[in-house]
Amino acid sequence: MHPMLLSLGIIAAGGILPLLTYRHFTLSRYLHASFTILGCLLGLYQTLAFSGFWSDISWRWLHCCSLTFSFDSLTRFFLVPIFLISPLAVLYSIDYFTNSQQSLRTTASLFFTNILVIAMVLVTAADNILSFALAWEALSLSSFFLVMYDYEKATTRNAGYLYFIFTQSGALCIFAAFGVIFATTGSFDFQGAHTLPESLKILVFLLAFVGFGSKAGVFPLHFWLPHAHPAAPSHISAIMSGVMIKMGIYGILRLYFLLAPDSLLIGETVLIFGMLSGVLGVLYALSKHDMKRLLAYHSVENIGIILIGLGLGMIGISLGDPMVALFALAGGLLHVLNHSLFKSVLFLGAGVVRKQCGHGQIDRLGGLLKSMPVTGRTFLVGSAAISGLPPLNGFISEFLIYYAAFHALQHSHTLFLLATLAVLSLALIGGLASFCFTKVVGVVFLGESRSGDEIAGEGGKWMALPMILLAGGCLLIGLFPSTFIELARLGLADCLTFAPEVSRQLSVVAENLAFGCRLFLLLVLFVFCLRMVIYRNKPVDTGPTWGCGFTGGTARIQYTGTSYARTVIGFFRPFVLIRETQVRLKAIFPGRTNYTNHITDIAEETVSRSLTQPLLLVLGKLRWIQHGNIQLYIGYIVLTILVVLLILLL
Amino acid sequence: MESLLSFALALAVAPLFPGIILKVKAFFAGRKGPPLLIRYFTLIKLFRKGSVYSTTTTFVFTLAPVVSCAGALLLLLFFPLGVGPPLLAFTGDAIFLFYVLATGRFFTIAAALDTGSPFEGMGAAREALFGALAEIAVFIILILFFRMNGTLSFADFFASVRPISLTGTAGALLPLLIVALFMVLLTENSRVPVDDPATHLELTMIHEVMILDHSGPDLALIHLAAYYKLLFFAAWISLLLCPIDPARGLLNIPIFYGIMTLVYVAVGMVESIMARLRMNLVPQFILTSCTLLFFAAILTMGYLQ
Repeated sequence: MHPMLLSLGIIAAGGILPLLTYRHFTLSRYLHASFTILGCLLGLYQTLAFSGFWSDISWRWLHCCSLTFSFDSLTRFFLVPIFLISPLAVLYSIDYFTNSQQSLRTTASLFFTNILVIAMVLVTAADNILSFALAWEALSLSSFFLVMYDYEKATTRNAGYLYFIFTQSGALCIFAAFGVIFATTGSFDFQGAHTLPESLKILVFLLAFVGFGSKAGVFPLHFWLPHAHPAAPSHISAIMSGVMIKMGIYGILRLYFLLAPDSLLIGETVLIFGMLSGVLGVLYALSKHDMKRLLAYHSVENIGIILIGLGLGMIGISLGDPMVALFALAGGLLHVLNHSLFKSVLFLGAGVVRKQCGHGQIDRLGGLLKSMPVTGRTFLVGSAAISGLPPLNGFISEFLIYYAAFHALQHSHTLFLLATLAVLSLALIGGLASFCFTKVVGVVFLGESRSGDEIAGEGGKWMALPMILLAGGCLLIGLFPSTFIELARLGLADCLTFAPEVSRQLSVVAENLAFGCRLFLLLVLFVFCLRMVIYRNKPVDTGPTWGCGFTGGTARIQYTGTSYARTVIGFFRPFVLIRETQVRLKAIFPGRTNYTNHITDIAEETVSRSLTQPLLLVLGKLRWIQHGNIQLYIGYIVLTILVVLLILLL
Repeated sequence: MESLLSFALALAVAPLFPGIILKVKAFFAGRKGPPLLIRYFTLIKLFRKGSVYSTTTTFVFTLAPVVSCAGALLLLLFFPLGVGPPLLAFTGDAIFLFYVLATGRFFTIAAALDTGSPFEGMGAAREALFGALAEIAVFIILILFFRMNGTLSFADFFASVRPISLTGTAGALLPLLIVALFMVLLTENSRVPVDDPATHLELTMIHEVMILDHSGPDLALIHLAAYYKLLFFAAWISLLLCPIDPARGLLNIPIFYGIMTLVYVAVGMVESIMARLRMNLVPQFILTSCTLLFFAAILTMGYLQ
C-alpha cells in the first residue's frame, strides 16, 4: 500500500467519525482530533523520513480518464506545512468549539476541515490536469463551507460569497490555462507542457498566475482575504492563511517548472506583483482596526515576499545565474514554511483574544499580556518572527532572498533596477511590518486595558499548547537554520539541478546565519545576566507611569492603534484612500469630539466601481429572467440543450 | 589581537565622544560646557542607582534595554574599528547587523507602548516611521557598496585588499554617499535636526520620550547602546574618509579616532547652527538622503560594469 494512502485514510476517518457521533459533542471533538493528528503525524513522518522514490497512485475514473498522483520533491516540501499546521489547528479547535448548542454545525466544520486537508495533499500530488482540477475544486468548496461557519451573520455570508466568486473565477482562469495545454498537446498529462511554443507558454503562465494569484492573495486579487479571515473560525484562518493560500504558490511554481519557459518576462511579472503585494499588503494591514483583518493583510504581504523570492529565482534561471536562482527559490520556499508557522501562531492568538474578550477590535483592547501570559508571549514571538527579526525564522528566509537580490544587482540595466527595487521593497516591508506588529502587540497586549472590562484569562490548555509549539518552531528554525534551508533545497531537487559549488555556498550561508543568530541570542542572555548582577541589592520600587506632570490620566488617554498608525498612513497617502472626520476645536473649552477614520483598499474600490457596479446595472435589467416559475426554468434547460445540439449537428 | 584591543578601546571610549558634541555646542553658545567626561559620570551614577517601575509594565519593558544594548555590542563586534579586520565577519553580515538593530528598535518601541503613556506612544509612532525610512537609506548604501566592492560584509568593505574609500575605484561617488550617510547618522541616532536630545517638551521629542520611564541601570544600558550605535555610524564615515592602511600598523588607531572626532565635531556644529525640523518635514529630510544615494546608485550603472 502506498505510504500516503494510509495517512489520508486515517484523516478521512477522522472527518467522518464526528458526523456520526455529533450527539456526543465532546466525544466527537476528541475523536476527530485524535484521528486527524494521528493521520497528519504519520504523513509528516513519511514525508520527512523516506527520501527514496515514491510510486505514483493511479486510478481509472469513469472508464476513460485516469487520475494520477505522484510525489516528487516539490510536492513533499509542500506536504510539510500541511501536515505540520493542520494537526495543531485541529488540536486548538477542541477548546475553541465549546458551544454544544451548535454541535451539528461544528461537526460539519470538523468534517470539512479534514476534506480540506486531504484536498490540499491531493492538489500538491496531482500529476495530470484532471486530478488537479478535481482536487482544486474540492479544496475551494471545502474551504468555502469552512468560512461559512457563522452563516447567520450577514457579514459572514457576504465574506463567503466573495470568497466563492474569487475562488471560482480563479479556477476558471486555471482551467483556461489547462485548456490551452490540452488543446496543444492533446493529452491530460502535464508532462507535454514544456513542448508548447514560447508565446503560448507565456499565455498559459499568465492565465494560471491570475488564477493561482487570486487563491494566494496577490495584489490586486487579494481582497477576499480580509473579508474571509475575520469571518472564519480562528483555527480555520490559521489553516487557510498558513497553508491553503500556499497552494496558489505551489501552483505557480509547479506550472513554471512544467512549462520551463525561457522568457525573462515571467520572472519579472512575478517579481513586480510580489513587490506590489508586499508593500501594499503591509500598508493596508497597518490601517486595519480588527486583529484578524490586519493579519489577513499580512498574508498578502508575506505572499509578496514569497513571490519576490520566486520571481528572482525565475529570473536567475532564465539568466543562467545559479546563485540567484538557488538562493531566491530556497528563500521563497523556506518562507512558505516560515509563514505557515508564525501566521498560524498569530491567528491562533487572535482567536484566543476574540473568544475570551468577545471581539478583536484593537483600539478597545489593552493590557492583555497580564491576564493571558501564554497567548501574549507566543504572540510576541510570532510578531517578531513575521517582522523578520533575528534570531527567529522570518529573518532566515528573508535573508536568503536579500542575498539573491544583491547578487542580481550584477546584471545589466532593467534587472539592476528590478533588483534594487526588490531590495528596497524588502527593506520597506521589514520596517513597516515591525511598525505594524509593535502596534498590535503594544496596543492589545501591553499597556492598560482600555475598556476596563477585560479580565479574561487564557482559553484552555488545548489552545495554549499549539501556540507554544508553533512559537518554539519559529525559534528553532531561527537557531538551527541549516537543516531547514537544506529541506528547502531538497524541495527543488527534482525540478532543478545545481552545481555542488553553489549548493555548498548555500550551506555556508546557512552556517553563518546560524552563527549570527545564536551569537545574538547569547549576547542578549549575557547582557541579561549582567543586568541581574547589577540589580542585586539595588532598591527596586513600583509606581504609576510618569505622566509628564499630569496626574489625572486614565487608560483611555493611551495611544490607540489608529493614532499610532495614522502618521505612516498619511505619509503613503496616494496609495491608501483615507476617509476621516476632521476634528476642529471651535471653542476655548471644546466639548465632546468624535473622530473616525476608514481606509479603503484601492483594489477593492476600483473593482467595485468599475466592474461590480456596471455589472449590477446590466444584470438588474435582466432580472425578469428570474421569475421563480419552475416550468419555465425547465423550458430554459430544454431550449439550451436544443440549441447546443443544433450547433453540434450543423 | 589588535582587533580585540581595538574593540575594547571602542567600548571604553564610546561615552567620551558625546561629550565632545556637548563641548562644541557650548563653544558655539559661548559657554564653558560640561566636563568632557560627563557621560561617564552619568553612567556611573545610573549604574549605582536602583529603579522604579510602572505598575503597568511587563517583562517587555525590562527586556528592551537588554536587547538594544546586546544589538549595539554585536554591531561593534562585526565592524573594523580602525585597525585590522573586525573580530567576527561572515558574508552578508551587513544585512544581519541592520536587522539586529531593527530588533532593538522593535523592543524599544514595544517597551514605550508598554508604559501606557500617551507621550511615549507618540514618540514610538515617530521612531517607527523614521526608522523604517532610514532603513531604506541604509539598504541603498548597501546596494551601492555591493556594486563597488561585490561583497556584503563590513570586513570586506573596509578591511580587505581594496577597501571602499575616496581614493579607491568610483571614489567620486563617495561625497554623495558620505553626506547621505551623515544624514542617516543624524536620523538613526536622534540628533538635531531630526530629534533634539536636549529639548524640554515631551511633545517634541522622539527617542527621549520613549525612554521616559526607564531609570537606573536600565537607562544606563539604553545610553550605552546609543553611544555604541553613534560610534558605529561615525566610524563608518571616518573609514570612508580615510581607510585602514595595513602599512601604518598601530598608527591607524590615532588617525581613525582623530577623523572620528571630526565627525562628532560636525554633529555638534550641525546641532549648534540648526533648529530641529518640524515633525512633518523629517520624512523629507530622510528621503533627501535616499534620493542622493539612489542617484549615486544609478551612476554606478554607467561605469561599474
